[in-house]
Amino acid sequence: MSYTSRPPFPFALLRFWFMRILPVWLGIALLIFLMQIAVSAIVHDNANVRAFLSFLNMLPSIVKTALGGDMLQAGNTAALLTIGYQHPLVMFLCMLFAVGVPTGLLTGEVQKGTMELILSRPVTKTQVYICACVLTLVGMFGLVLTMFVGTFTAVHIYRFEQPIPLDLFFRIAVNGGLLASTFGAFALVCAATFARVYSALGVAVAFLTLNYFVSLISEWWQTIRFLRKATLFYFIYYSDIFYGWPVRNMEWLMVILLATAAVGALIWNRRDLPL
Amino acid sequence: MMKPLEVNALTKWYGRSRGVEDVTFAIERGEIFGYLGPNGSGKTTTIRCAMGLLRPSGGEVRILGSRVVPGRATQHARIGYLPGDFRVWPRPNARRVLHMLAALGGSDHDTARRNELAERLGLNLRRPIGDLSKGNRQKVAVIYAFQHRPDVLILDEPTAGLDPLMRQAVLDLIREAAEAGAAVLLSSHDLSEVSAICTRAAILREGSLVKLAPIAEIIQQGEYRLKVWFMDGTPVPDVPVDRLPNVRVVERQAHMLHIAYQGASDAILKWIAQFPIDRISTPQTSLEEAFIQYYQQAGDERKSPRRARS
Repeated sequence: MSYTSRPPFPFALLRFWFMRILPVWLGIALLIFLMQIAVSAIVHDNANVRAFLSFLNMLPSIVKTALGGDMLQAGNTAALLTIGYQHPLVMFLCMLFAVGVPTGLLTGEVQKGTMELILSRPVTKTQVYICACVLTLVGMFGLVLTMFVGTFTAVHIYRFEQPIPLDLFFRIAVNGGLLASTFGAFALVCAATFARVYSALGVAVAFLTLNYFVSLISEWWQTIRFLRKATLFYFIYYSDIFYGWPVRNMEWLMVILLATAAVGALIWNRRDLPL
Repeated sequence: MMKPLEVNALTKWYGRSRGVEDVTFAIERGEIFGYLGPNGSGKTTTIRCAMGLLRPSGGEVRILGSRVVPGRATQHARIGYLPGDFRVWPRPNARRVLHMLAALGGSDHDTARRNELAERLGLNLRRPIGDLSKGNRQKVAVIYAFQHRPDVLILDEPTAGLDPLMRQAVLDLIREAAEAGAAVLLSSHDLSEVSAICTRAAILREGSLVKLAPIAEIIQQGEYRLKVWFMDGTPVPDVPVDRLPNVRVVERQAHMLHIAYQGASDAILKWIAQFPIDRISTPQTSLEEAFIQYYQQAGDERKSPRRARS
């Protein structure tokens, strides 16, 4: 082994961190999976759908907007099934992972003092960042694909009167994964920047919440509709995803994701960690 | 010839506060080098710069010939590092943590060596680290530093929290590593252990080196000791500082005077000879006393420029 060469990739660290986040990932994935089954259980029955929609119409209109807006109509089964993808609980669980994992792995290890041990071995700071990045982004995509698996399973459990376009749900899942990963990349920047877990979590959650509510309120309140373009959700909600792959929007999300992750890597590498 | 660890004009500022300034020293192969200083004097800053954990404001550190670049893990496969505050994941057992840390960077998993060290230190590797006492956690830290037979050992308080027997076992490990050719940087508050195993030492004060010399020279520091017991009924005389300016009183009892002096002993002996004396002894200065002495001297000379050299 040449000692002056770049250290080999720390798969041991990747495995160690993977095992640490696996229980959380499995818990969230199970809830998301069950959510799709539950939504399908309601949506496959017309009587249930009518009852659900009349209940929804009794609530403030912003609630309907949060679950899909005017697309939610009896007979539009595919749109109704997407409730499982944009339900606030599902959003919350995905974002919990997107924000919690990078801050827990990077800022958490720094705050606990264990980062000093990791970096005292033949592991570069960039490699440590890449490990956190891989687990965040792959984990996010895994969760969003679990949504699709839930829908796929539900379609085979329940009988729907209309054919369910599974390719649409796959496109939604992939785009949702890109969006969630972009939020994960922002959380990585926070994790690379702040010394304390709560500071990193706070800023990441604030960014995410702001995005969500600006997107929601601008959709519901016409006066501030122009603000919808200022959020990351714009790339999903206002794409042609129902008709095909929204390549342009996916490219934008990918560029933002990579640029954000790169900024995080730069900050992580340049700053002295508060060990 | 390349030295395993070289620190050249190392300077580190944390904003406006000084970590270390213009620190220069080098450690030879097989040498145990003591790095002394009170809390906040810059020992840990130096060590973290050497490990590439901090970005120096100036100067450089070279380990095994390679310049340490912050965050790049320069030669880390050949360094055994024991941090001053060994904090580790509490849930896994010691074996798993040590295995994972050894596996990082693709190091060989020398299980036999790990087991041998655990046996010597009397540590049960199967217990979760969170259940271990402070002393036993320190043993895990020692195994972590030594398990891959490093060529350079950077040890920050390696015996903290250990009982005297284990302390001895760790000192033996350090000696064995040095005999096998490793260069050892030993930062410690325990000056007796530094004087027992180190060949040279550096004393750090407020981020700057005030002395770098062989241990014997530091202990001697140009000062000699004299203990005089006077005969019963003879009061202990006051030292005439106007005639003997290089003498200071270390201790004074009913019939005993303990003094330290620099330079020739002729004038002192002549002064003492005026009194009825029971007996005289010439005690050795301890490293602890020398350390305190250097600190006081350095405090007096703060304004003068300094740069210690070996």
